[in-house]
Amino acid sequence: MTADGHGSGAGTSADRVLAVPCEGDDLLALFALDTGARLGEVPVGSHPVHATTCRGRTVVATMGERAVTAVDPDGEVTRIETGVLGPSHFATANGELYVSCSAGDALAVIDPEGLTLVDRVAVGAEPHEIAVAPDGDRLYSGSRREGVVDVVDTERRERIGAIDAGPGVRVQGVALSPDGDRGYAVDQRGARVIAFDPGGDVGGDAASAEPVHTEAAVGADPYDLVATEDRVFVPGRGDGVVHELGRNLEPIVVHEGFSRPVELFEIAGDWWVLDAGAARLRSLDGAVVETPAPGLVATPVGGGRLAVSHYDDDRVSLVDVESGTVWTADTPAYPFGSVVV
Amino acid sequence: MTRERSTDDGEAGDDSDASGASENATRRGLLRAAAGATVAGAASTAGCLGVTTPADVAARSEVSGNVGHFVGPSWLADNREDTVVLDARDADRFREERVYRARRVPFDAITARESTEAGDAPDTDAIATAFGEIGVSPEDDVLVYGASVGSRVTRVAFALAAVGHEGEIRVLNGGLSAWNGRLGTGSRDGVSSTDYEPDPASSTWVTREWLADRVGTFNGDGPGLVDVRVPEAYLAAAGSDALNDDHDRHGHLPGAVDVHWVGNVAGRQMTEPGRLVRLYEVEAELDRGGTVVVYGDDNVDPTSTWLTLKAIGFEDVRLYDGGFGEWANVDSDRGRYPVETATNVVIETEGSVGGDDDGGDFSCTG
Repeated sequence: MTADGHGSGAGTSADRVLAVPCEGDDLLALFALDTGARLGEVPVGSHPVHATTCRGRTVVATMGERAVTAVDPDGEVTRIETGVLGPSHFATANGELYVSCSAGDALAVIDPEGLTLVDRVAVGAEPHEIAVAPDGDRLYSGSRREGVVDVVDTERRERIGAIDAGPGVRVQGVALSPDGDRGYAVDQRGARVIAFDPGGDVGGDAASAEPVHTEAAVGADPYDLVATEDRVFVPGRGDGVVHELGRNLEPIVVHEGFSRPVELFEIAGDWWVLDAGAARLRSLDGAVVETPAPGLVATPVGGGRLAVSHYDDDRVSLVDVESGTVWTADTPAYPFGSVVV
Repeated sequence: MTRERSTDDGEAGDDSDASGASENATRRGLLRAAAGATVAGAASTAGCLGVTTPADVAARSEVSGNVGHFVGPSWLADNREDTVVLDARDADRFREERVYRARRVPFDAITARESTEAGDAPDTDAIATAFGEIGVSPEDDVLVYGASVGSRVTRVAFALAAVGHEGEIRVLNGGLSAWNGRLGTGSRDGVSSTDYEPDPASSTWVTREWLADRVGTFNGDGPGLVDVRVPEAYLAAAGSDALNDDHDRHGHLPGAVDVHWVGNVAGRQMTEPGRLVRLYEVEAELDRGGTVVVYGDDNVDPTSTWLTLKAIGFEDVRLYDGGFGEWANVDSDRGRYPVETATNVVIETEGSVGGDDDGGDFSCTG
């Protein structure tokens, strides 16, 4: 999830490509961003879910593998072993590519130039989302099984501590405020969000660190979140609400009337909500843009537009929040987290 | 012997043929009554009564087909004088009843480990000393038995292999209950100790570092890897009693396939070999020509799978002696020793282990 729809993929070059991992067919499907024309597909391994770009390469997380797949500008496909099952989310820190191995208890560290595994960092079991400090020196990894946010020193590639979010917690989304002074983690099981001090002394074990500032209840089945300078937004997928909270998680407003809100994007000064249960984008101010089908994941592409993956309908669309759907195209099965190349 | 006769039939003291015929008729009457034939409307149960003799039990434990290491009681009967028989059970059961002249293995000693830079490994000096103390020599042909063919028995077989035992190593299918030959009881028969010089067979085990160097290759481009624990431990099922509280982490080694070791055993015998071949070659998709590593929580249970795979023809089977207990609790650089908590590669097994050894400690049944 991103809070900035302007920067990501910015540019208007007509030759930009939308690369869409399609989990059901083990393919990376390619589309012309401006027209939606199908440009081809690349076999990338089992269950591709997210993609990123790094050093001119497109790297795909294949959750059904113990590897990720990199595609060179010349089309060469390279498999990079992680050793641990379930690569899911990427983050770049200290010049290296981190990927959470969500079926294990490690982050794989990849040299994006040499396309090799350079290390694995042990973290809490089933890591999923990763957030990186603005200066890249620390990385925060949420554990879905152990209820902690692990803190990793990216210089030493070493876990230096953990923030304990409480017993029985399933940490899902993790985010930092843009200034890096405040961290947030979503407890999916407990339907709450916690705020923690990301710069705190976590040099000891998890039990000795007490960096959790506060917590707040949110809508049922929360998954992801967005943190800005002064706001925290948490969609509650289970009851169709979006909680808008202050920096210290003080309640501001609960936005209602969604079906299954999954993601928020700031586009042209407005916050837009992607809804996995309704074929539309709806802003927190009440504006609505119809989409061809409900969307599960979306990628800001600049110019007030989102590339929306219609996971259950095997389609992808380019949606302009001002003018509506620009194009829509069929995809291989289960399109997921795309990237603009 | 005094022959007792009934006085109710009026034939007391009569040894004539007529009297004999009458006795036969009386017996037949009793047998009919016992079978329910004299009760109007009742179905006969004749022929449905389960009668089992020691010979039947022994016969059921015979081993046929191309199976290594496991032998039936008739083999032992034919080779008793040329074989050193080792009892893998605990001391109480050994004293109570055993194969005549069997020697009890000091079980704790033959599970001994030594710590090396590469991780835990069998302490072959300690193991060899233990075998020497019960009079075993490297060249002896050995047969091991227990209450069944559980993991205590197979651990003894592994320990012998680990010290480079030169003689044949066999296991009695069916355990002690299959043996209908001479039994011994009481204190251990005196045996002279030997100086057992080990010739460590390091190809029978692997270490933590050997595995760490191959993470990501198991059951793929690299060796086969079998986790023999229950699926709940393998999958780190939250709240399960199968999770070992002593472990820092739960789950399994990356890429391991789970085949619970009790599938190797049916009651007191090894599972039917055809079923075992299907289990490991077809369902678990292991390559009998390649290297296969087995591990469990400890270094006892996985030896059941170690010996079973060897028995059905796998060529290079090795034990991770340190086990998940070592892997899960390494105290540094855990990224080099990751665990996984999710996969779908669980092979269903149906085994059960008979024998009632060790006060209900299921994992050490022998």
